Amino acid sequence: MSSGEVSRVQVVKASMILTARNFFADPQWVIPSIIAPFVFTLVSLFLFSHVNGPILLYAVLGGGMMGMWGTTVYGSGSSIGFDRWNGTLECTLSAPTPLMWIVLGRVIWNTLEGSINALFILAIGFLWFRVGIGIADPGLFAISTIITFLSLSAFGLLLANIVVLSRKGGFLTNGIEIPVYIATGTMFPIGLLPFFVQGFSFALGPTWGIDAIRKAAIAGYTGLPVSIYVDLLVTVLATVVYMALSAYFFTKVEKIAKRNGTLGDY
Amino acid sequence: MELNIRRALFEGYRALIGSLRFGSRGTIIWDSWDMWLLEIIILPLAQISFFEILATYANYSPAMVQYVVIGNAIQTMSFSSVFAVANITSSDKWQGTLPSILLTPASRASIIMGRALYQIIMSTLISTTGLLYAYFLFGVNFSSANYLFLAVSLLLTSISMISFGLLISTIGLYMRTAMIVANVFLFIGLLVCGVNFPISELPVWLRPLSYVIPLTYGLDAVRLSIAGAGFYAVGIYLLYLVIDGLAVFSMALLLTKTFERLARKSGRLEIY
Repeated sequence: MSSGEVSRVQVVKASMILTARNFFADPQWVIPSIIAPFVFTLVSLFLFSHVNGPILLYAVLGGGMMGMWGTTVYGSGSSIGFDRWNGTLECTLSAPTPLMWIVLGRVIWNTLEGSINALFILAIGFLWFRVGIGIADPGLFAISTIITFLSLSAFGLLLANIVVLSRKGGFLTNGIEIPVYIATGTMFPIGLLPFFVQGFSFALGPTWGIDAIRKAAIAGYTGLPVSIYVDLLVTVLATVVYMALSAYFFTKVEKIAKRNGTLGDY
Repeated sequence: MELNIRRALFEGYRALIGSLRFGSRGTIIWDSWDMWLLEIIILPLAQISFFEILATYANYSPAMVQYVVIGNAIQTMSFSSVFAVANITSSDKWQGTLPSILLTPASRASIIMGRALYQIIMSTLISTTGLLYAYFLFGVNFSSANYLFLAVSLLLTSISMISFGLLISTIGLYMRTAMIVANVFLFIGLLVCGVNFPISELPVWLRPLSYVIPLTYGLDAVRLSIAGAGFYAVGIYLLYLVIDGLAVFSMALLLTKTFERLARKSGRLEIY
């Protein structure tokens, strides 16, 4: 391992720790990113409450996924946005480390924050709606969750590119929040979506990730007509593609931002 | 005495108009065409689609799916009427303009109302777009609708919800920001106001919150207007809506005075 690689790992770690410390210093800021998925899940639980079968566990898992999506999307939008607000974006871009690794650390923590929502939803599902929380295959469930988590972080990194060049990036990423909940089948099978949306759904790694999570958690769950291992393989492949695209776009975007000199415009 | 009242009214009117111009221009600059597209066109479509598919998947009857579609079409106005309005004081605090504004002798009610008035247009537009989606894309039946009642219901719901946004906005005068609470109330209506299911399905302890938020009455009035109900059936909910809107607005004015006094006393106006 070269010293350059170690340095980038250290940057990701330092960025993640700093974001985590900011969160613990002022945890109320998690609310804007998890309130939508939290309320959406509660509404779903009410709507599903008269349906028999493991649908409530299905909804609870979907709610957890939405929470992670919410914090990823919101975090990607705000990570550069806050730099711009606070006037630190120029300093961050002047650092010798490529911006991508700094943002990656932030996005990983933001996705992790989403698990707070998953815990809330799990507690409410268990205490209020009496959802049974038996997991069919805990080992595969853990693997599926970790791989999906990484896929979400990689997607968040890709989204963060938008925000570097535009002051409106944060708003745009907020605007795609509900469409990604729909497209990835967090609360209903993507088979219910119009055909042209399904193509987009299949291009999203988390669509396959949530399918794997449900297959591991709910005995007899069918979901997408492939095995859980195919789900996981596609999720990993999508993650690799997102990372490669992010690396490419971050290099481009950094160059454009430095050339135009309009970073501080707000 | 009479001269003083007339002068106060004139100055209040000037502050209101100035604030309205400033608020709308600021918003238009900020909300460029792509932001408009997002707020008016995409957000309602995305939210209605999510809950319509959810209700279909949960095997709800077609009538109940229509209930969900109409509910979400109207609730989307909260992006403008609650969230944008609630953040007025917080934005001023961020930009450092709150102390200057509060130094002026102008009526606080005029300043804040002026900034919020523009959102009546925005929130009505958002919900109208939502209702157009309901008709053209989601097959909601408007054949019996009374369009006059519907327009009045929409407008009054928008005004009352803006009063509710103003009430939340007062928190930003004293606390660090109203943004957190604004986020909560942007979405909580989906759960407690009868947007996706009747409030009778809520636990009893949650229902008082439903009766405080004007959206609850607005939704009833809109649904009855679409169903072609008569004047008295719609009118009673419009009356509730107006009473609730006035109560919420009075509370907002009272809290503005209280929080401004507290903030001045403790020197917290610029704390952020």
